[in-house]
Amino acid sequence: MQIRDHLFPSSLVEAVEMLHAEGGKARLIAGGTDLIREIRDQTNEFEVLVDISHIPGLDRIEKKGELICLGPLVTMAKAESSAMLKQDAPALAEACSWVGGPQIRNRATLAGNIVSAQPAADGAIALLALDARLKILGRLGERTLMLAESYAGVGRSHIDSSAEVISSIEWIAQHPGEVSAFRRMTKRKALALPQLNCAVWMSQTGNQCTAIRIALGPVAESPFRARQAEAFLLGKPLSLENLAACAAAACKEAQPRDSVLRGSGRYRKQIVAVIVRETLEQAANRLEGSQA
Amino acid sequence: MKKIRLQVNGTWRSGWAAPGQTLLEFLRTELDCTEVKHGCGKGDCGACTVILNGMAVDSCLVLSLQVDGSAVVTAKGLGTKENPHPLQKAFIETGAFQCGFCTPGMILSAKALLDTNPQPTKAEIRRGLSGNLCRCTGYRKIEEAVAAAVDYSSKNHGSTEDSTH
Repeated sequence: MQIRDHLFPSSLVEAVEMLHAEGGKARLIAGGTDLIREIRDQTNEFEVLVDISHIPGLDRIEKKGELICLGPLVTMAKAESSAMLKQDAPALAEACSWVGGPQIRNRATLAGNIVSAQPAADGAIALLALDARLKILGRLGERTLMLAESYAGVGRSHIDSSAEVISSIEWIAQHPGEVSAFRRMTKRKALALPQLNCAVWMSQTGNQCTAIRIALGPVAESPFRARQAEAFLLGKPLSLENLAACAAAACKEAQPRDSVLRGSGRYRKQIVAVIVRETLEQAANRLEGSQA
Repeated sequence: MKKIRLQVNGTWRSGWAAPGQTLLEFLRTELDCTEVKHGCGKGDCGACTVILNGMAVDSCLVLSLQVDGSAVVTAKGLGTKENPHPLQKAFIETGAFQCGFCTPGMILSAKALLDTNPQPTKAEIRRGLSGNLCRCTGYRKIEEAVAAAVDYSSKNHGSTEDSTH
């Protein structure tokens, strides 16, 4: 479909008004690394672009009280190089460093990574482990949605980018005794889709795991929480045996499909146990390091 | 169509941009910057890399209307035949190309890297060039050329900055 107009609102409120005025025929654009491909392939079902990329101040990474908040224009490059995120949310900084190549990371945003709703989106996998929530601005005001609740299927989000915009991505900052980690299996070291990716966030008191979140992709229609594996580890010591058994539980509940690009479902299901164990071990090592 | 203005290699230029048109298309057809190469057209190969406001981007994944008022550096902005940029000199002396199609993008990714990290390690050079594909031969000589450019610059006490900044 031919693009009829490309609009530049000066605020998110104005962006939402512009989207509304087009009655579903407009789409929000920020980094554009997915949308511009749609336009090139002429698969786009929108004819107007509402572009927030020139609105100042939307690329901030800030700590507000106990929350870490990212604006909708925070790019992969900005997140991977942020000293605060490297320290406070290493899983996210690492995940972002894997997306595309440098040129893509300079444009692609985390908000876009969420709205594109791919089950293997590295940034979203890390944010799921961090239990991120989204502030979404629509014409009737702002609503809050857990990232985990934003998925409606492969490539489909409950965030309607023909009517609303993510205004903030937030999660509770890491306390002492908490840590995160990310790992990815891929055929090449750059410009390659993940065959599997895993992010872990965990909390330890004494020698016991007191809270854990394991996010995996692509093993389901959307970024997946390995809840049975989490339940297994909860309350147990972070011993190598327990981490391996937890990873085995994740392997049982993951349902990777056969994929020409990523490998057979049977193979990837076996590797789930490996990648989850490695990510858990990395997180446990970090906890040990931070206490030493 | 809308008239936009942007700085290309230090010179303000203007041209007509259409909604949905990529920066790549605008540079090649409207401003005749054919040194910006059209490879895959979808952000996989890096042949169309330009430096936009100091950052390497795939110009096929930027829309022309987004760059109104911006500064773009293409391969032509780095040096001349008589007075090549250290990166250009290093690519020639190392023989770091075969067909040459990926070279403008490679050199611009390398320049964006050296602008922020003038003394990169081998691993940092590889990572800096990881968004650019070469389909002729390989990456070893390209890496060597970037390392050689770092040497030229440090020996001359100069920088890899081009004259447009």
